[in-house]
Amino acid sequence: MRYGGDNRSRLLLVILIVTSLFLITLDLRGVQVMQGARNGAQTVLSPFQRGASFVFTPVGNFFSDVAHLGRTRSKLKALEDENALLRERILTRRSVDTEIGQLKSVLNLAGKASYKIVNARVIAQGSSATFTQTIIIDAGANMKITRDMTVISGEGLVGVVKEVYPTTSLVMLSSDPSFRVGVRIAHSEQIGILSGQGTNHAVLQLLDSQSNVKVGDVLLARGSEGDKPFVPGVPVGQVTYVADAAGAVSATAEVKFFAHLSSLRIVAVVVKAPDADPRDALVPPKPMPTPTPTVTVYVTPSASPSPTTKK
Amino acid sequence: MLTRRLLLTSTIFFTLFILQESLFSQVRLPLGGFSLFLIFTICWSALSTPEVGAITGFGAGLLLDLAPANDGPIGQWTLVLIVIGYGIAFLRYGDDSLRGNPFSLVVLVAVGVVVTLGIYLTTGVLLGLDLGTGFQLMKILMGNGIWTLVVAPFLLPLISRLHRAIFETRETL
Repeated sequence: MRYGGDNRSRLLLVILIVTSLFLITLDLRGVQVMQGARNGAQTVLSPFQRGASFVFTPVGNFFSDVAHLGRTRSKLKALEDENALLRERILTRRSVDTEIGQLKSVLNLAGKASYKIVNARVIAQGSSATFTQTIIIDAGANMKITRDMTVISGEGLVGVVKEVYPTTSLVMLSSDPSFRVGVRIAHSEQIGILSGQGTNHAVLQLLDSQSNVKVGDVLLARGSEGDKPFVPGVPVGQVTYVADAAGAVSATAEVKFFAHLSSLRIVAVVVKAPDADPRDALVPPKPMPTPTPTVTVYVTPSASPSPTTKK
Repeated sequence: MLTRRLLLTSTIFFTLFILQESLFSQVRLPLGGFSLFLIFTICWSALSTPEVGAITGFGAGLLLDLAPANDGPIGQWTLVLIVIGYGIAFLRYGDDSLRGNPFSLVVLVAVGVVVTLGIYLTTGVLLGLDLGTGFQLMKILMGNGIWTLVVAPFLLPLISRLHRAIFETRETL
């Protein structure tokens, strides 16, 4: 039987499509009910995300290890069980160590610039069905977080708070294609605009075509009016490639972000910027060449080799 | 009967939505990975009549729109999935050679996923969303298609069994 589609089903289709168009219109007009619906959904989801993150994080690399279990001999099995348990403990420990390391470095960075921050754990990494680059963190309105606050990690800029829910918030990563930040090249006054590309590289557009940007130059966030969405002085990235176009109106360059946006565990939300612009204080130190140990022996010849008697 | 089917179907979709948003979104796969929720929705529509396909698309789209990580306006996914749900059910329902052939269903679902994302992107551009470079988008689209081809054969038996348990006969709503 060939399905022709009678009037009833066409009517249904039209009603459904009109409903969805109506929803789109309502949302684009900024009706509060729509935002409320999304808020509600996040409130329902966040305990599940927390749970999944808690269960999943330590055992992420563990499935392959478990796959080798299941030998028949009981002694071997007991040993392997013990081994797996210990290995799991090490993995848990290692993931905790990573978190401690990230927490330490972010505190270090914030302390150097005297930002006032709220620490948060990353509990979900966006949704694979969308094309935006976002993370969800476990601090929200309960920690006095509001929209458009800067989010940093130990290495530098991570993104900006986009939506705040009661106990969680959504952070747009700096790699998101719609992300823009005004930057300044460290140790100079050249300014430009950095736009995310969906990868861990971004494109820098300098406002002045005469500027001489070099590979290796460090970029700092320029800061916005009222420190929202960007507080000044946060390290953003390093220039990896300069496009040489003599006739172009503005110079462009490719920039690699300092922050490892795909392996974020602990981040910090800057809730209050310092009173004074930290300027170039946060430029990461150049990697030092490992010093070769040199031993210097100082020999002071004594005038008379008589034993000292003074006690 | 109708209420029972509606309740069971929405329970299944809601559970899957929570799993997708909390658990599967933590798994990072090369080439952007795949969306279990989309595959499930498109399979489900393909097994139904066009009316049920459109309603399935409506419900699933509404859930996807409510996902907090979603950037577009509420209603965009709903619109896309209604069209896809109706279209895919219409295609498969009318063509006898497509029915009862599991391989063609797998291909249909994979193509459906890619087309769905394509329509979503197109409407996104029309609505003025910022989407990033063409290469990156092509990579995500292709990656989704390939992953769906890989994963769908394992999911299809489960989905069709569930579907048969809820709609004993395919013809009636």
